[in-house]
Amino acid sequence: MIRHTTLLFLLLAGALSVGLFSIKYQVQDLEQKLVSLNKSIYQERRSIHVLNAEWSYLNNPERLAGLASRLLHMQPILPSQLASLKEIDSRLDGLGTASLPLGEGGGQ
Amino acid sequence: MTVRTRVHLEGNLKQALETGRNRLLVTGVVFMIAFVVISIRLVDLTVFGPGARPRLAHVAAAAPNVVKRADIIDRNGVILATSLPSASLFADPRDVMNAEDAAARLVKVLPDLTYSEILAKLDSGARFVWLSRNLTPNQQYQVNKLGIPGLSFRQGERRVYPQGREAAHILGLTDIDGKGIAGIEKRFSDALENAASPLQLSIDIRIQSMLRRELMSSMAEFKARGAAGAVLDVHTGEVMAMVSLPDFDPNQPATMLDDAAFNRVTKGVYEMGSTFKLFNTAMALDSNTVGLKDGYDASKPIHIARFTIHDFHAKNRWLSVPEILIYSSNIGSAKMAMDVGAKAQRFYLDRFGLLRPSDVELPEIGLPQTPRRWGDISTMTISYGHGIAVSPLQVVGAAAALVNGGIRYPVSLLKHRGLEAPEGERVLSARTSDEMRGLMRLVVTKGTGKNAAATGYLVGGKTGSAEKQVDGRYAVKSLISSFVGAFPMNNPRYVMMAMLDEPKGTKRTFNYATGGWVAAPVIKRMVMAMGPLLGMMPNRSTDGKDGLPRLASLRVGAGAGKPRLETY
Repeated sequence: MIRHTTLLFLLLAGALSVGLFSIKYQVQDLEQKLVSLNKSIYQERRSIHVLNAEWSYLNNPERLAGLASRLLHMQPILPSQLASLKEIDSRLDGLGTASLPLGEGGGQ
Repeated sequence: MTVRTRVHLEGNLKQALETGRNRLLVTGVVFMIAFVVISIRLVDLTVFGPGARPRLAHVAAAAPNVVKRADIIDRNGVILATSLPSASLFADPRDVMNAEDAAARLVKVLPDLTYSEILAKLDSGARFVWLSRNLTPNQQYQVNKLGIPGLSFRQGERRVYPQGREAAHILGLTDIDGKGIAGIEKRFSDALENAASPLQLSIDIRIQSMLRRELMSSMAEFKARGAAGAVLDVHTGEVMAMVSLPDFDPNQPATMLDDAAFNRVTKGVYEMGSTFKLFNTAMALDSNTVGLKDGYDASKPIHIARFTIHDFHAKNRWLSVPEILIYSSNIGSAKMAMDVGAKAQRFYLDRFGLLRPSDVELPEIGLPQTPRRWGDISTMTISYGHGIAVSPLQVVGAAAALVNGGIRYPVSLLKHRGLEAPEGERVLSARTSDEMRGLMRLVVTKGTGKNAAATGYLVGGKTGSAEKQVDGRYAVKSLISSFVGAFPMNNPRYVMMAMLDEPKGTKRTFNYATGGWVAAPVIKRMVMAMGPLLGMMPNRSTDGKDGLPRLASLRVGAGAGKPRLETY
């Protein structure tokens, strides 16, 4: 009887210590992973910071204007190119014939 | 049958057994205590202890900022100034074994340095010398590759301005140790250090870039010494753009030479000339000294003491109040100012913010120059912008109050947060402001500011051309030519100013270098570029319903109105 209990407790203690050790090493691994992750997050943030600066540099309005006119043949928009929907409406009325399919859902 | 046996233990044996029992008891008690302690600790750790709280999220959030000094961004979030991590090279000369060899190899990698300079530093016997600050990552790699003992790097940061010269005078720059030495960098130097969030300015880099481009082209065309300009939101006092030329590249502090370092918009004070007639007319109308239908005889120059006041665009007849502004009559303005009186003039100019230094957040602020004795002559000359010198930014700030309904807001370079308008001070009645809007529009449609008329948007404003004082005398050929304008005049949103320092007339302008010829076109081009960019609908009404107060009924134009006697 006593020998059985002793055996049981010995087994239990053995199992527990094995479990404890394995968890301890797991935690150690995780912590190492955490440190390296934090480090790489910092690295990424650093790169993002530098890239943001570069993005701002590349988006310089003067540079963009030059690129747009040289490569895309674009020009600054003129006030005469702006119109409201109301103005378009009156122009269309003037045409008389045209009727736009305005998509009346549930029609014929 | 059982035999009861009784064992009698005597003597030594009994004693040994007793001892064994006692020892067992003591050991048991010790173990008991140990187990109790362990279980208490177990409960303590698992139930109450800090081990119960996860600390993962905490660790991630506490990641340090990449750089110490915060960014400066424009109103749309575009980075105007940022710090980049960089390495600086230093040496401990006592650890450098062969100074000549080290210097020779370093010069090959870092061509900016000279051999003799490095050698002197490495031979100095000090324990610490800077060799080169702010290396690029590539340079750092190459220096590392040399493998010279005694050299090491210190991680630091370098301030860069991705937009280059665009906002140079606003941002200013920092010295090599990252301390602000000019502009916003200096004004907010402490706040930028270790700030968690970037500093957001009211500047719109697109408009800033436009203004700079237009001023540069005008400056080049008229061979001016310098130029200045500003765009303000009339309802908040926010500076949308502010340019002073010539400027410098904050990425290269060496370009910050005398004239380029001078901020003409805030630090420079100038006698503005006729743009002051706007303020003169506004105060006369607001104090009910004159009405729009009154006028003055401007047929003869005024002689006072040893001065004579002429008109540049002389009409030699009676002029109504709108005409005085439209044709920029010095005589009429001077007479109007005399009716307003020196005291009221001073009161109004002070409320417009023209007598005290600008409240904008920059260290480079010029003190306005005002007459020491504010006599009749001063009152007269100030009416058309002489005898008082103010900075262009002060003029724009005051002009905003003329058109926005009569409220002066502090001029600010920081983005206004919240939907409500900032706290302002009423300086004019709403009625006077309405009248001024109409008058400013008339200057552009019928007067000296025709070159500012943009298609699509109603521009109003006033030209100004002042002779500069050179050695205490007014030099006829050296002008400060400017234009103060606002748009759209039926509901003003932006007020702006362009100013050129000593422009020279060209064949195209018939050798004129006045504000109407050199500065007004800048405003026109700005309006036509800004309007569509900011999504403002152009005004295309042809029936004249532009929402402006009706001034057309007033007598404006040649031969209009019969001469009337002066009122004083």
